[in-house]
Amino acid sequence: MEEVLRSLGLFKPEIALTAGLLLVVIVDSIGGAWRNGAVRILSIATLAVALGYAVELQVAGAQGAIFSGMLTVDPLGSFFKIILVLASLLIITAFTFRAARELHGLGQGEFHALILALTLSNLLLAGANDIVMLYLALEMVSITSYVMVAYLKGDRMSNEASLKYLLFGAVSTGGMLYGLSLLYGLTGTTSLPGIREVLATGVPGPQLALYLATLLIVVGFGFKIAAVPFHFWCPDVYQGAATPVTALLSVAPKAAGFGIAVRFFFGTFAVPVTGTWDLSGVIDWQLLLVVISVATMTLGNVAALTQNNMKRLLAYSSIAHAGYILMGIVALSDVGARSLLIYLFAYLFMNLGAFLVVTLVHLHDGTFDLRDYPGLYRRAPLLTLAMGLFMLSLIGIPPLVGFLGKLYVFGAVVNMGSGYYWYAAVGAVNAAIAGFYYLRVLKVMFIDAGNEDKPPLKLAFVDRAWLLFFAAANLLPVLFWSRIDEWARGAVVLYTGR
Amino acid sequence: MTAADYVFWVFATATVVSGAVVVFARSLIYSAFALLFTFFGVAGLYVLLGADFLAATQLLIYVGGILVLLLFGVMLTHRIYDLKLRTEKTQLGPGLIVAAGIFIIFANAALITEWPTVGREPAPTTKEIGRLFLGEYLLAFEAASVLLLVALIGAAMIVRRKKDA
Amino acid sequence: MIGLSHYLIVSAALLSLGILGLLTRRNAVNVLMSIELILNSANVNLVAFSRFGAGNLDGQVFAVFVIVVAAAEVAVALAIVLTMYRLRRTPNLDDADILRG
Repeated sequence: MEEVLRSLGLFKPEIALTAGLLLVVIVDSIGGAWRNGAVRILSIATLAVALGYAVELQVAGAQGAIFSGMLTVDPLGSFFKIILVLASLLIITAFTFRAARELHGLGQGEFHALILALTLSNLLLAGANDIVMLYLALEMVSITSYVMVAYLKGDRMSNEASLKYLLFGAVSTGGMLYGLSLLYGLTGTTSLPGIREVLATGVPGPQLALYLATLLIVVGFGFKIAAVPFHFWCPDVYQGAATPVTALLSVAPKAAGFGIAVRFFFGTFAVPVTGTWDLSGVIDWQLLLVVISVATMTLGNVAALTQNNMKRLLAYSSIAHAGYILMGIVALSDVGARSLLIYLFAYLFMNLGAFLVVTLVHLHDGTFDLRDYPGLYRRAPLLTLAMGLFMLSLIGIPPLVGFLGKLYVFGAVVNMGSGYYWYAAVGAVNAAIAGFYYLRVLKVMFIDAGNEDKPPLKLAFVDRAWLLFFAAANLLPVLFWSRIDEWARGAVVLYTGR
Repeated sequence: MTAADYVFWVFATATVVSGAVVVFARSLIYSAFALLFTFFGVAGLYVLLGADFLAATQLLIYVGGILVLLLFGVMLTHRIYDLKLRTEKTQLGPGLIVAAGIFIIFANAALITEWPTVGREPAPTTKEIGRLFLGEYLLAFEAASVLLLVALIGAAMIVRRKKDA
Repeated sequence: MIGLSHYLIVSAALLSLGILGLLTRRNAVNVLMSIELILNSANVNLVAFSRFGAGNLDGQVFAVFVIVVAAAEVAVALAIVLTMYRLRRTPNLDDADILRG
């Protein structure tokens, strides 16, 4: 009982989200014309409170295992919690039902309940410290995502996307489950620190089962972060889902997946030494992840070159970014973990900004096709300039946040020694390839002639304000860089006890 | 061989053979009924492994819940008077090779690995599992209830027609 | 004497049958059945390890959660399959092909 009471004190963000979720469900079922507004305000308040609690945990530097070792609270987890809650908050506030044409006429109650449930699941996943909790949270994130992708009922693309997502996801997590079962068999425990302790002393006899378990677990993580070759669902799902859902999926579950991947690969499959980690046992998972990372960034960027649908283009771009972020895990050091945190932080603002522009163009013109974008600069200068900023940030042009993310990630890889210079070079070449399609978007919007007959876009005041907010979020962080660096540095503390 | 060993072979054969029927049957209805026997076979294996609570759960949720849902799926997505209920199969050859390869690798891993052998004598588990649910696994237990709530809301929302929203 | 490896081989057989089903079947409900085979194979592993290997009940508790997750997943999956059937009168995955590129 005391254990539970102690745990609840470190569990406030999740409690707030659960309470908010239940309230939203109840309010929505009461009915009445006012419920849509009430549900929205309630959700925003819930997320704001959860964000406050997450920041409080981070500032306090709270550490420890809670709920009998089911979850871990540590600065790293708190950092992820802040990013995850912030992502949901930005989606609910910036991507309104008014701004997203696809959502017009659909019920708001379930949408907000699902966002809160997804946020809760993300937080549980990012803090999981036991393979039972890891599997359960992973499935909670996945199942909530399937439902959110299917939200546009009656829309064939949304339906098809959710079916593909579900079948692919169920297979991947099923494979991961088999891997986890082998890991349980090898170590006799479900607790991640317990598994580390056993693996650190080595598994006797042939290692085949351990390799298989590692491989299958990588499949599960690969699916969650859309790494090649487990990315097939990604473009279809991003295209089929409503744009706010796509924007959320491109950031939040991915960040949660990276959160648990760091915890798993650093805290379970490696042993901490000062400032770095040593591989435990005999699995060279670093090599496996290097291969996956290189394939992911290359395939994502090359496939994005030929896309005309903006949602698909951003889907392939997000696959490529997952490849860069994986570099932070491969580095297997404090520097690597810090670069991953900073990249995710930067990615949140640049990607959500780009998706907001896509949403607004769809609201006014009803199109996601890049070939309908010419002349946009004449019709909506502010929107186009903002998009320009987001694209340059995604390429990694200084002084935007995207540049800082790339700087840290490549730096972490270079730090590993000369054996990995080629890896950083591959990343740099990829960033150059990525420049082509991002700049193509800019060229179409700024230079190409077309749509002369269409009137200027009349953006609502709120939408303008949000565009400015995201633009500022991409431009300004460089001014406070030393503080953000310090924050991330302080956040790279993994609690690895039971 | 002891009597328990014979029982194992019966359940193991039932599980694997009916599992094969699930995959190879030409009619969806046959697949669904074969799946019933697979679930029964697995429940039998649980009993032999001393997992009484889990065996009961398997029967209640898998046979009583999931299988019935799947049967609904079969019936609702086919016109019932269409007696054939054929499903299309493709790529049998390569599929067989991949599946055989996977079986060989995993069976090999099962045989050569030096698994820990602490072991646990079969004893009634229900009380202990109940204690674990409300003790060590309390959080997972509560999280599972949120998962079921989401699935409930989600499934109801997806099948409702657009007009009613 | 029946031991751990017997159960693990049954589980490996179920796993490979499930994967065979995934590779060869084109009906969404059938694919779901194959996924259930995979989940069951993992559960057999967990329970067998709990009995012979680890000697604790964690594996059995894990298996119970897997069953709960499977139920939730199938409920959502069937809702989506039913909607798909309503929208285009087929449960076959090859006909789900408007998202490409």
